[in-house]
Amino acid sequence: MTTRRLIVEPRGLASARLVVLVPVLSVLAALVLGAVFLALTGENPWTVYSKMVDAAFGDSRGISETLISATPLILTGVAAAVAFKMLVWNIGAEGQFLFGAIFAAGVGIWLGDGLPAIIALPLVILAGAVGGAFLASISAIPRVYLGTNEIITTLMLNFIALAFMNYLIFGSNSPWRDSAVSTFPQGRPLPDSGRIPEFFNRLDYGLFVAIALAVVAWVMIEKSRWGFEVRVVGDSANTARYAGIGVPRKILGVFLLSGAFAGLAGSLFVAGPVGALDPRSLDLNLGFTGIIVAALARLNPIAVVPVAVLMGALNNAGPSLQSIGVPPETVTMLQGAILVFAVAGEFFIANRVRRPDKETTVATTGEATA
Amino acid sequence: MAMTKASPHSGDGLAVRLRGVSKSFYGVRANDSVDFDLAWGEVHTLLGENGAGKSTLCSILAGLYRPDSGEFLFDGEPQAFKTPKDAFAAGIGMVYQHFRLVANLTVAENLALGHGDLGVRISQKDLEARAAALGERYGLPVDPSALVWQLSVGEQQRVEILKLLYRDARVLILDEPTAVLTPQEAEQLFKTMRQMAAEGRSVIFVSHKLHEVIAVSDRVTVLRAGKSVGAVATADASPKDLARMMVGRDLELPTREARDSYGDAVLAVKNMSVLGDRGNEAVHDVSFEVRSGEVVGVAGVSGNGQRELAYGLVGLRPPTAGTVLLDGDDVTATSVLDHIEKGFAYVPQSRLGMGLGPGLTTEDNLGLKAFRNPPFSIGPWLKAAAFKEQGATLIDRYDIRGVRPGLPIRLLSGGNLQKALIAREVTLEPKVLIARSPTRGLDVGATEAVRNHVLSERDRGTAVLLISEDLDELLALSDRLVVMFDGRIVGEMPAEDATAENLGLLMGGTVSEAG
Repeated sequence: MTTRRLIVEPRGLASARLVVLVPVLSVLAALVLGAVFLALTGENPWTVYSKMVDAAFGDSRGISETLISATPLILTGVAAAVAFKMLVWNIGAEGQFLFGAIFAAGVGIWLGDGLPAIIALPLVILAGAVGGAFLASISAIPRVYLGTNEIITTLMLNFIALAFMNYLIFGSNSPWRDSAVSTFPQGRPLPDSGRIPEFFNRLDYGLFVAIALAVVAWVMIEKSRWGFEVRVVGDSANTARYAGIGVPRKILGVFLLSGAFAGLAGSLFVAGPVGALDPRSLDLNLGFTGIIVAALARLNPIAVVPVAVLMGALNNAGPSLQSIGVPPETVTMLQGAILVFAVAGEFFIANRVRRPDKETTVATTGEATA
Repeated sequence: MAMTKASPHSGDGLAVRLRGVSKSFYGVRANDSVDFDLAWGEVHTLLGENGAGKSTLCSILAGLYRPDSGEFLFDGEPQAFKTPKDAFAAGIGMVYQHFRLVANLTVAENLALGHGDLGVRISQKDLEARAAALGERYGLPVDPSALVWQLSVGEQQRVEILKLLYRDARVLILDEPTAVLTPQEAEQLFKTMRQMAAEGRSVIFVSHKLHEVIAVSDRVTVLRAGKSVGAVATADASPKDLARMMVGRDLELPTREARDSYGDAVLAVKNMSVLGDRGNEAVHDVSFEVRSGEVVGVAGVSGNGQRELAYGLVGLRPPTAGTVLLDGDDVTATSVLDHIEKGFAYVPQSRLGMGLGPGLTTEDNLGLKAFRNPPFSIGPWLKAAAFKEQGATLIDRYDIRGVRPGLPIRLLSGGNLQKALIAREVTLEPKVLIARSPTRGLDVGATEAVRNHVLSERDRGTAVLLISEDLDELLALSDRLVVMFDGRIVGEMPAEDATAENLGLLMGGTVSEAG
């Protein structure tokens, strides 16, 4: 008896409680692992964690900075969630985010101060969507019509996008570069009409735009006819074809939409807190972190919002650790651990693990009685 | 046949003796006081509908589950296997429905795997020679050096059986082995089973296909709702008797009633050709008609162009030549969606691979073809209430069981999947219903339901094209039959003239009416 193994069996339908509980436990498990690591390196985990909470939520400035960090993560998270739901492995939110920023800054600078904000600002923000979708299309079109592997193409385009942004600022006299500064190259500031107004310390209204877009994404997928078709394609392309759904167009649409969301993250960030195409403020792995956000939110665009706030808090807390002599990379490690535990947690949502001969839980499997 | 192992006939001479064996899962009695006797040297069928407890009983015998209560004697000795390994050491082995092979190893390596007494050095050559010899002896030819992933399903099954013989299992349990085999492969398997029995081994065969059961086994134990209904010698049993024991009531599978006149031709196919997956012409110059209120059966051995025929007709693969007319309208080159809207219904052979979205709910699946139109969507918005309402109606009307809110449809049993699939196709009131092997893998109860739905469509005036490999079914349901061989129609006859014999000859390509 004692040597018998545990039995793993598929759990037909996971309860709503479990779906919430597992991600929460994933985060806790990552924090415990982080605590062990901190303890081993001679730090007091309690001190470090309270410092982080304090930095992220301790005062009004901390809260506003946390929400500023969360805003782009909401949209890169939605970008990943929308694509992954349909088994489109767009790993390119990072590059699409940068292209959104490049397009938005470009339009803002090109428009100058000639137009009122009510016209200029929407154009700047939309330019980001176009930029993200444009970069995504470079991967999406060959994927749909030639069957290329989008994991590789989107991943590689991230590096190209980063290099392109660096070229615009450091390598050329492009309109994006601030010609007034002759010392260290910088991005040219957007005119005021292309900036999103602030309302709480440095926090701007972009937060609400991001939340609204997350809701829009959820409604599109869950409530629209288009979303139903997308869900069918994501479930089985064969079945979709059989039901008369145009599979290539659906995949293309989702891919471009995902790119557009990532690009919007870039335009909101540029038109919001950053205010220029500034490589140092944009090269923060916000696109990659979006993948973690989406995984932890179980690809639900609404759940992305609170998860993005959590990740934003971690990002925001990182630099504060330096004041107590702890490397800020601790935060990156915690984020990585959260991803690992979240993915592992999926296993427990999909499967039940039990001891043999302890049959007290509810029935599911057909295997036993088939 | 040489006796490899003298079977120790101790006591009552039984290999296995079960008395009052019960096993519950989560309060559901999968086996309820089952009695079962297995003699040495016999092929013994466990017969029962899906969910009757066959697999549970096999798993108890193979040491995967332990009975909650009851007596289990193996070769006269009380047994309490703790793991499949214990059972195997005692000589009981099982071939599961889902194979347990290592795809990246060769056949010979799979056979040797888990064999403790190989010594330090393993000679690949020796292993392969032993595997080849064993395969030869039992009529289970497989290339011992082939990697398992390269093998067909039928070949993989042979490896599973060889794995048991390699370790000299004395009781072999085969759980629905023929479900994945062609008729020819099944025939070969039956020979192997008889040979193993002749050597004194015992074979437990799980099936719900009555003609197979009668053909291959010496005795049958019938299970119904977890209880053993009784054991009979196949010599004394007719398919009808067995069906009655299995279902618990007299069961006459529905057959069509002949009728004198049919309506106009609804579906007319003229000189249609369709390409196969490799760019070859899988359907060549095929012409036929299906009239309103008529079932036309398409007989043929699997792989003779039936799949491509169906794809060509429903728009999934546009024909390269010829025309398809629906009520006189040319629909040859139109999209799948056009076909659906014009009244084509299609029940594909693969339920979860094509006909249904496995991860979607039953309600969503039932709306999979009508969702574009009101009441399922208004403008760009989906109306969940309409899906729910239709779902409730169809689940009730078509007796689809096991549905729970939010549950992905793939967790339903095969019979319920097929009922859902047919419910969706039929509720659109199609003009043409194309069904491929609609009762494949279903138990008798579900088969009865599916056949009734097909026939009621016929009686409603639908033109039905029934593409199947099951001759019994074709003969029972079709008004007219065509035979496909190598992508062509090689024969056509009214149901009255069709017999299993003349169809079989045409299907084999040895005789051709069409020349």
